[in-house]
Amino acid sequence: MPVVHYDSEAVEGEALPPTRRRFTRRGAWISFLLIPPIAVMALFVVYPILSALAYAFYDWTGLRREGFVGLENFRRVLFEPPYAAITWNAFQHNVIVFFVLMVVQNGVGFLLAWCLWRELPGARFHRVAVFLPVVLSTVIIGYMWKLFFHPIFGVVNQLLELVGLGALAQPWLGQSDTALGALILVNAWAWVGFPTLVFLAGLQRIPTEVLEAARMETDSEWTITRRIVWPLVAPSTTVVFILLFIGSFNWFELPYIMVGLDGSPFGSTDVLGLVFYRTAFGNVSAGVQDFGLGSALAVLMFLFIAVFATGWTLYLRKRELDV
Amino acid sequence: MSRLTLRQVRKSFKQTEVLRGIDLEIAPGELIVFVGPSGCGKSTLLRCIAGLEEITGGDIALGDRSLAGVAPSRRGMAMVFQSYALYPHMDVRGNMAFGLKLMGLSSDEVEARIAEAARMLQLTPLLDRKPRELSGGQRQRVAIGRALVRQPEVFLLDEPLSNLDAALRSEVRLEIAKLHETIGGTTIYVTHDQVEAMTLATRIVVMRDGRIEQVGTPRELFETPANTFVGTFIGSPRMALLKARAEGGRFGIEGSGDVALPDAPGGARALTLGVRPDAFEVVPEGQGWGADVVYTEYLGTDAFLYARLGDGTLLSVRTDPAAPEHATGSRIALRPRAGGLHYFDQDTGHRLAA
Repeated sequence: MPVVHYDSEAVEGEALPPTRRRFTRRGAWISFLLIPPIAVMALFVVYPILSALAYAFYDWTGLRREGFVGLENFRRVLFEPPYAAITWNAFQHNVIVFFVLMVVQNGVGFLLAWCLWRELPGARFHRVAVFLPVVLSTVIIGYMWKLFFHPIFGVVNQLLELVGLGALAQPWLGQSDTALGALILVNAWAWVGFPTLVFLAGLQRIPTEVLEAARMETDSEWTITRRIVWPLVAPSTTVVFILLFIGSFNWFELPYIMVGLDGSPFGSTDVLGLVFYRTAFGNVSAGVQDFGLGSALAVLMFLFIAVFATGWTLYLRKRELDV
Repeated sequence: MSRLTLRQVRKSFKQTEVLRGIDLEIAPGELIVFVGPSGCGKSTLLRCIAGLEEITGGDIALGDRSLAGVAPSRRGMAMVFQSYALYPHMDVRGNMAFGLKLMGLSSDEVEARIAEAARMLQLTPLLDRKPRELSGGQRQRVAIGRALVRQPEVFLLDEPLSNLDAALRSEVRLEIAKLHETIGGTTIYVTHDQVEAMTLATRIVVMRDGRIEQVGTPRELFETPANTFVGTFIGSPRMALLKARAEGGRFGIEGSGDVALPDAPGGARALTLGVRPDAFEVVPEGQGWGADVVYTEYLGTDAFLYARLGDGTLLSVRTDPAAPEHATGSRIALRPRAGGLHYFDQDTGHRLAA
């Protein structure tokens, strides 16, 4: 049986034992501090998600809700032409975006972090420079790179001609082969500072003596990086991987600004975010608008991201604890 | 096994000269201790020998092979770091195996060496644990084991006991001494603790300001310190330095009178007398230097009193713990026992031949 100790003062003068009283006051404070953010969250996050979930089960005419149709909207988005082809095409692009960014953005990020960590010449300047695009607005970045990629006036093609590679100059955003790649590279350019910063923090947390102990055992920089440095940095990658995953499947602003709502040319840059927006809110060119289908898409995206991100986070966290 | 030779070793970090010409010969199998106050360059010297720092002058050679430009991993040395520096993501076995596998040993050989080291250091039940699951003392043993399995020509230990609590420290110190006896490899041990140095070393290297002050066995350093620095650094409580004037066999200290001492070096001169706490005796008034008792300390097996001479010098005296304590503030007379005196030049601090 647990023994409860009251301090003498409380036993004499107060009805409640001091611990319980403290808890009550603490509870009041916690509620006081939590209620406003929960209310805001509920209003602007939970409610829209739940209502989207509800919308997805109804038939819509313009903005007017018609009858309950069950899973019909989901079936159409996933399996019925022409929606199915559009959805799967966009999903494929999201998958490509995710894997390429995973390799390019995070790979270059690690490389940059490594260079900054080893204090190669200019590290001080580059530590700031690398992170600068991250704080720029996506609108600015998208617009700027759209100009850079301009087939005639664009800096990219002019530079290629300047170094004698004029043959490689092409309308980067105007042809199906290169448009998605160009978008992905712009995204990598803009966001590489984030993984760099996280990796750099991870690298700097490795004790110097551990690295020196490794240097006493091998003179191969590669072995030390692969066997000692990377395993010690890896746990800090969880947040980088998860945010990249969520970002890749929610990708919207950059393609919207650079190639427009249609994912032009010819849907070669179409991604789920664009499809959802077009379907739910309509488009000047398409004119078709269906809230039900759009909501169904949104719900599917949400479920896909939530399930994978949660599972992956749990897995990576477990690995973090192992180290 | 080969001899380690340091010739005029220098090291500067930008403008700051940390090592100012170190000459040292270390015989195979010796346990050499570098000791000195913090900032004296002892750790830097060890790191230079390890190759973790490049020397800016002079030469280090193992046998007749110069180590200039040789990578740390190819010097035939293993190091135990102050923080142990275990690889946190590998278990104990992995920590020891990492370097061995890179040496190209067969996995049988790797296993055999690890088993042997684990047996010697009582690590066998811990082989599958990660460093964070080990206590400080156990990590320490793993760090030593990781060095042992490499079977290096030279062991380097950088303040290996400073992260352990006092009780464990003397225990591990004993273990290191025993290990050195069993394995017999050349060992260089860095510490700022003169007790560690005295108990472990075959020879001690006392350093200050990037220079070697004296090299010798613990006994040599204690009995014939080369200068006032070594005199006060080795031994606890520290040796008292008294500014005295010798004239006609009598040693005068300002404000404390003078004392006749037998083995005074000839001629009238000012000199510094070094007297250890146990070389003082309290004598009746008039037969020694007058001093005021400042503080007394009773430690059970030992007792000390701290006294101030007429010229303001504070000194410690070992007294008989059984005898009654002297009251703080009382006046006593002190005189050094015959043979317990060290003579130093008052300007240079160098030892004077008696």
